[in-house]
Amino acid sequence: MTDTDADSNSDDVGEDTSDKIEVLFFKSDTCAFCPRAEEVLRETLEEFGADMFKVIVYNVSEDPEKAEEYGIFALPAIIIGGMSVTGIPEPEIIMKMILGSKLGTRS
Amino acid sequence: MSQYQIDRVKTGIPGLDELIEGGFPRGDTILIAGKAGTGKSILATQFLYRGAVDYNEPGVLVTLEEPPRLIKRNMMRFGMDLDKLEREGMLSIVDLSPARDTPLNISEYPSFDLSGLEAIIMHHIKKVNAQRVVIDTISILAYKFKARDILREELFKLCAHITSTGCTLLLTSEIPAQDTGLGVFDIEAFLASGVIVLYNEKISDTSRSRSIEVLKLRGSKHSSRIHSMRITDEGIRVWPGEISPGT
Ligand SMILES: Nc1ncnc2c1ncn2[C@@H]1O[C@H](COP(=O)(O)OP(=O)(O)OP(=O)(O)O)[C@@H](O)[C@H]1O
Ligand SMILES: [Mg+2]
Repeated sequence: MTDTDADSNSDDVGEDTSDKIEVLFFKSDTCAFCPRAEEVLRETLEEFGADMFKVIVYNVSEDPEKAEEYGIFALPAIIIGGMSVTGIPEPEIIMKMILGSKLGTRS
Repeated sequence: MSQYQIDRVKTGIPGLDELIEGGFPRGDTILIAGKAGTGKSILATQFLYRGAVDYNEPGVLVTLEEPPRLIKRNMMRFGMDLDKLEREGMLSIVDLSPARDTPLNISEYPSFDLSGLEAIIMHHIKKVNAQRVVIDTISILAYKFKARDILREELFKLCAHITSTGCTLLLTSEIPAQDTGLGVFDIEAFLASGVIVLYNEKISDTSRSRSIEVLKLRGSKHSSRIHSMRITDEGIRVWPGEISPGT
C-alpha cells in the first residue's frame, strides 16, 4: 500500500503510482468515528491487495482547504473514483466503490 | 434603569434595530426563517455587507445553496459590491453550493459528525477575523443527510463552536410551501436564541405584501407585531411604525 501523508508532498513518492486506485480518507482531530472507519478501510483494501491502492489521508483540522475542495461536510469520509461515503462504512460499500472506479477508468 | 447592557450588533437593516433594542445580542445565533423568495438571503447578506462597510466588522458567508457568482450579481443590484469586500479582506465567501463538481455521496452510515464543515468555516473565520457569520441555508443539510438526530446534535455543536469565537451567527431556514413550522428540521427554533420570520403574503388578488416578525429574541424586549418590510434599490428596509396590512 502506498501510504501518503497529506502533509508531505504526495508527488514525492519514489515509485510509479499512476496505475493505482486513489483512495482519499478524511478525518479530523475531534472525529470520534474516524479511527474505526480507517480500520475498516485498511482491512478492506488489504483483502483486495494493498498494492493496488494509493491511500491519501487528510486531517481537515490541519488541512481545512481539502475539506472545502472536495465539499466534505461530514466525517469520516472516504472518496474513491468520484464517489464518497460518510460514516463508518461496511466493507461491501468500499468494494462497490473500488469496482465502480475500475469500470470508470476502463471506459 | 437596567444595570446590565447586552452588547448589541447592528443588523444593517434600516428599521430592524428599532424593533429589537438596538440589534442582535452579540455572539448569539439568530434564525431567519421564511418561505421561498421572502428575502432571507438578501437580509443575511446585507447583514454581512453593512457590517463590513458601516461597522468595520469582517464577515463570512457560507453558501450551501446559491453559487457566489449569482449572489454577487444579485447584491450588486442593491449597490453592494461583495467582490470589493473580498479583496479588502472584509468578507470571505465559502462556496459549498451544490453547483460545484464534488464527489457524489452514495451512502451514509449513522456514525458521522460535521467536523468537516466546522473546520472549513473556522478556517475562514480566522482568515478574515470575522465577527459576523451567515450560513445560507441550513435546510440544505436536511436534504443532504438522512440521520436527523445526528444532524440536530451536530448543528448545535457547530453553532456553539462558531459563536464561541464571539461571532454573531445568522442561519437561514426555508419554510416549505404548505408548512406551518419554521423549517424542515422542526428544531430550528431551539437552535437559535433569536428567530425572525419573513413573509410575502397575498393581500388581494393582485398584490402581495412583505413583512417581518421578531418571533423571539433572548434577553430582549422586542416588538410583538408584524411590521412592513420592502426590498428597495438599497436592499431590505423595515418600517417599524407600520403594521403589516396582511395581519
Ligand atoms: N433588485 C430587487 N428589487 C426588488 N426585489 C428584489 C430584487 N432582487 C430580488 N428581489 C426579490 O427578492 C426575492 C429573493 O430574495 P432572496 O433570495 O433573499 O429570497 P430567499 O428567501 O432567500 O429565497 P429562497 O428560499 O428561494 O432562497 C425575489 O424573489 C424577489 O422577489
Ligand atoms: Mg435564499
